[in-house]
Amino acid sequence: MRAKLKSIFTLSSLLKYALVLLALLAALAPVYWLITISLKSEVDQFAVPPRWLSFNPTLVHYKDAFVARSFGQYLITSAIVAVLSTVCALVLGTFAAYALARFRLPRKLDTRLALWILSTRMFPPIVTAIPLFLMMRDVRLLNTKASLVIVYTAFNLPFVVWMMRGFFMEVPREMEEAAMVDGDSRLGALRRVVLPLVAPGLAATAVFCLIISWNEFLFALVLTQTDAAMTLPVGIAGRVTQYEIKWGVMSAAGVVAMMPILVFAMAVQRYLVRGLSLGAVKG
Amino acid sequence: MNVKFEKVTKKFGASVVVDGLNLETVDGEFVVLLGPSGCGKTTTLRMLAGLEEATNGDIFIGPERVNDIPTRERDVAMVFQSYALYPHMTVAENIAYPLRVRKVLKNEIPRRVARVAALLEISSLLERKPRDLSGGERQRVALARAIVREPRVYLMDEPLSNLDAKLRVQMRGELKRLQQALGTTTVYVTHDQAEAMTLAHRVAVMRNGRLQQFDTPLNIYNRPANRFVAEFVGSPGMNLIEGEIDAASRHFTSGEFRLPLSATELDRLNGRERVMLGIRPEHLQVSLSQHEADAPATIYVTELMGNETLVFFRLAGGQKLIARAPASFRAEPESQVWIRFERGQLHFFDAQSEVALLITED
Repeated sequence: MRAKLKSIFTLSSLLKYALVLLALLAALAPVYWLITISLKSEVDQFAVPPRWLSFNPTLVHYKDAFVARSFGQYLITSAIVAVLSTVCALVLGTFAAYALARFRLPRKLDTRLALWILSTRMFPPIVTAIPLFLMMRDVRLLNTKASLVIVYTAFNLPFVVWMMRGFFMEVPREMEEAAMVDGDSRLGALRRVVLPLVAPGLAATAVFCLIISWNEFLFALVLTQTDAAMTLPVGIAGRVTQYEIKWGVMSAAGVVAMMPILVFAMAVQRYLVRGLSLGAVKG
Repeated sequence: MNVKFEKVTKKFGASVVVDGLNLETVDGEFVVLLGPSGCGKTTTLRMLAGLEEATNGDIFIGPERVNDIPTRERDVAMVFQSYALYPHMTVAENIAYPLRVRKVLKNEIPRRVARVAALLEISSLLERKPRDLSGGERQRVALARAIVREPRVYLMDEPLSNLDAKLRVQMRGELKRLQQALGTTTVYVTHDQAEAMTLAHRVAVMRNGRLQQFDTPLNIYNRPANRFVAEFVGSPGMNLIEGEIDAASRHFTSGEFRLPLSATELDRLNGRERVMLGIRPEHLQVSLSQHEADAPATIYVTELMGNETLVFFRLAGGQKLIARAPASFRAEPESQVWIRFERGQLHFFDAQSEVALLITED
């Protein structure tokens, strides 16, 4: 009886691992393909049947992308825009979220305000593309990093506000009350007591903002056309031209584009998991 | 420093949580706010801390009106029911926090933390995080954080209610000693009347936002100001029987139950016809045989407490009362017993207003 149970158990766990493997395969296959293409010569890229492993790796596409072309500059632009917009969205959003989580307004205005902020996420972003283009043109911010920082901050704000509001509401009010009785101001209590407690949530929110800004394509395409202001996604897509598609260069740039997010996500992984499951466990 | 509430009212929207509270403590006094949940005692404490704003009235700490002074400048220390320890800080950092934010000299902080930790016997826990502590240890840390600063007033919001029964009794004693040693005015909120009786110099009994009585524990117990205090204080509370005064025959009557009254008792009633008679369970004597002037009763149930037996019985008129009997007392349900009302221990309350008809000093 026990042996039978055990065999069922192993069978089910086998099945589980098989499914996990399948999911991993689906997720990682494109990444693998991207990396190998970036390392293959053009002949190998189009070989039939595909050469999975047996090819001569070359870094020529990387050189092409970052030395001959301005992908290095796109990378820097992307980094500046993503980091700045994330920082702006976090600072503004965190204060807004704290206020919405802690202060009651008459007629439930606080809840209504929060819902109204959320509702800005509900229309498709492309609806605002043309108006934003016109507005940026009028204030002469087309083809600047500033335009992208402003737009990304605006689009990340509702997300930050809602994430952080949830995290703040998890922190017992008494924490701040105790801090204030102990002699701290509200801002001091926020900095010394509340923020450290929501740090995991802050990290999780920051990662999402970074990823969204880093990967954003639509607004970057509409608002920037010059090399000086172009971000990586737009730069990569620009290699698809009327005459040729530079798969090698695009792949090389794609691989490099993945790296910062990967490294950052791994660095804050500990917080990320705690942040996403915050509130699930009381401690 | 003494604390004073003058006609303090607190409204949340339309509901009045604290209603015209007048209360003044003496410097160094241990005052307990006692009442059932929702009576406004915690709100009163929070107004004193500045965590809630009074809708009307004035609150004083010492000579200073503090209504408009922010919490952090009131120089009070508070122990929360949930302890509200800072989870990301060690015990030492928790205790040091009030000193740190008040810019106490850096090299003085460890010394004061160590002194308070020694006083509360938590020196060995200083490097731990709150999540690694037991309930009793957390409670001590919360206390340490409050007393490290030597504030003007201590505020305590049911600090013992999350402890198990044994620990609660132990901490209760330690709290009392601590307060005596520190001599700082303490306002303590609880719904546990045993805590109120044992800790307080004076108890303020509250109900529905109104102060019912503010007096020493013994006076609260022996001379309750109204029916609510009589029933709320004591475990079990005071027995109450509603009935009429038959002045002609000098009897209190309630249905078939009749109790002869003395001349002084009749005087106290001042000609009233409908009153409530109250008597504490320890002033009822239950016996299996009839003596003079005893009232007949039927046993409902008996509860053996070990040190005594609680006897629940019904009088002839159906009124349910409780008496304390010796531990050895035994009686079967539905059996007949005789009840003696101890002379001079009767309380009377006005049937309408429920206010005590006080004993004229005799």
